[in-house]
Amino acid sequence: MKPAQSIDFTFNSASHSAIAGQTIAAALIDSGNRILRSTRFNNEPRAIFCGIGICFDCLVIVDDVRNQRACLVEVLPGMRIASQ
Amino acid sequence: MIVIIGGGPSGLSAALAASRNGAEVILIDNSPQLGGQYWRHLPSNWGEPRATSYDYAKAEIIFTAVVNSPYITPISNAQVWSAEKVGEKIKLNFIQGGKENSVLAEKLILATGAYDRTLPFPGWQIPGVMTPGSAQSMLKSHGVLVGKKIVLAGTGPFLLPVATGLADMQGQVVGIYEVNFPWKWFSTPIALLRNPKKFKEAFYYVKKLVRHGVRLRFGYVVRSAHAGKDGTLEYILLSKRGAKNEVRVDCDIAAIGWGFMPDLSLAGILGLQQIIARDGTVVVSIDENQRSSHSNIYAAGELTGIGGSDLALVEGEIAGLSAIGEAIPRALLQKRKWLNNFANALIENYPIPADWMHLLNAETIICRCEEVTLGDIKQSVLLLKADSERSSKLMTRAGMGMCQGRICSRNVMEIVANCLGRKVTEAERISSSYRPIASPISLGLLGDGLMDE
Repeated sequence: MKPAQSIDFTFNSASHSAIAGQTIAAALIDSGNRILRSTRFNNEPRAIFCGIGICFDCLVIVDDVRNQRACLVEVLPGMRIASQ
Repeated sequence: MIVIIGGGPSGLSAALAASRNGAEVILIDNSPQLGGQYWRHLPSNWGEPRATSYDYAKAEIIFTAVVNSPYITPISNAQVWSAEKVGEKIKLNFIQGGKENSVLAEKLILATGAYDRTLPFPGWQIPGVMTPGSAQSMLKSHGVLVGKKIVLAGTGPFLLPVATGLADMQGQVVGIYEVNFPWKWFSTPIALLRNPKKFKEAFYYVKKLVRHGVRLRFGYVVRSAHAGKDGTLEYILLSKRGAKNEVRVDCDIAAIGWGFMPDLSLAGILGLQQIIARDGTVVVSIDENQRSSHSNIYAAGELTGIGGSDLALVEGEIAGLSAIGEAIPRALLQKRKWLNNFANALIENYPIPADWMHLLNAETIICRCEEVTLGDIKQSVLLLKADSERSSKLMTRAGMGMCQGRICSRNVMEIVANCLGRKVTEAERISSSYRPIASPISLGLLGDGLMDE
């Protein structure tokens, strides 16, 4: 079996690496980022909750596009991910 | 052309049955890989070890058959966001790779599956509290352990495979806290006797959990979750049902699930008749042949009632055969009946505690998207005279956020009815599952068919 390919991305400007094929949520958890965003009203931290695209709690900004579900979007080389 | 939506056990089984005589089948799924939630698996470029399901050998046979079939065209990574009737046919609009596309189905089989049901409790919005399905999907699809010290809680047999999977991959499962008691099964002996395989499966998990030193406790409920300095989960407080004294359990992940809710988005858009299962869950109404209220639309798997993968496989096969006008073998109908016995026993054995609302306080978040609290909802009913979930929603915005109430609307409905001292009506349950758009789409894409956010 060939080894999985490693790719680089940034989260809130910090560099991380992921395994090709992982979703953004998986890559962030794997790199120790437990908090994905803050809420609009109470400024409370939020993270992955349902993990399958239903709850929209894992929303992040991907390459300047807001409201992307981290649990569904695959992480790609050079992707700039940020909290919203 | 026969279009199937959903690549889990029921959709795959439907595709194989419907293509049996050479009919053209399109299988649309929103994941990069076939298998649905239940048969999630790592991409083929991953090394060992791999976390898989109990009956994964069966899944691999089915994947191979589907991929090698000259009649089945799988369309992966595609989100069906709307559906419309065009004469007798059904047009499905989907987004794939940033582009909008559509297919016209002569027969449509919906196999859209289910997602974890959740209940609010104080602190459930803290990072680290999640659904068991979430922990499972991270592990099975990405080889990622969600945390270092994991608690599983809530109710249902699904807690066992999730805990086993995590423990198998060196996750520290601190404990499984099931709210219901296992001896309830003896009150449904028919389900026990007719489905011995299911119990073999349960013993398989329990044996593994014992080997991993994971303790399974019954009759416990998670009362609250608490964050540490960094804002993420540090511990939960549990108590025995009905008891006041709380036990502290330190953990960084609390995966809590209360069974499943069918994904009725497309069924609702297509106006299919829906009915209420015994536990209040809204499901698609079907006949003996898995046919819905629309003569060219069939439904199979969890959206006709939560029953697990074995039932989904049988229902999918029946739906596929029905769609091509084949007679359904009696043995298959019998198998479905027995598995339905089991599904009903699941409802009996793993009820949600009727007093779940008593754990909440005024500050407890009910709608996660719009950060609406129990206090807000109570005020909308008691002071502003909201008389339904709908009117409370208009006042508080509960259920109006990005998830369109998928997580909270059932709970808001129960809370509003409880404040009014009445029961939730059937009409309310059905209307609360209706959503005009199945998955979000940008206005730019809607306008010209190209993504230009």
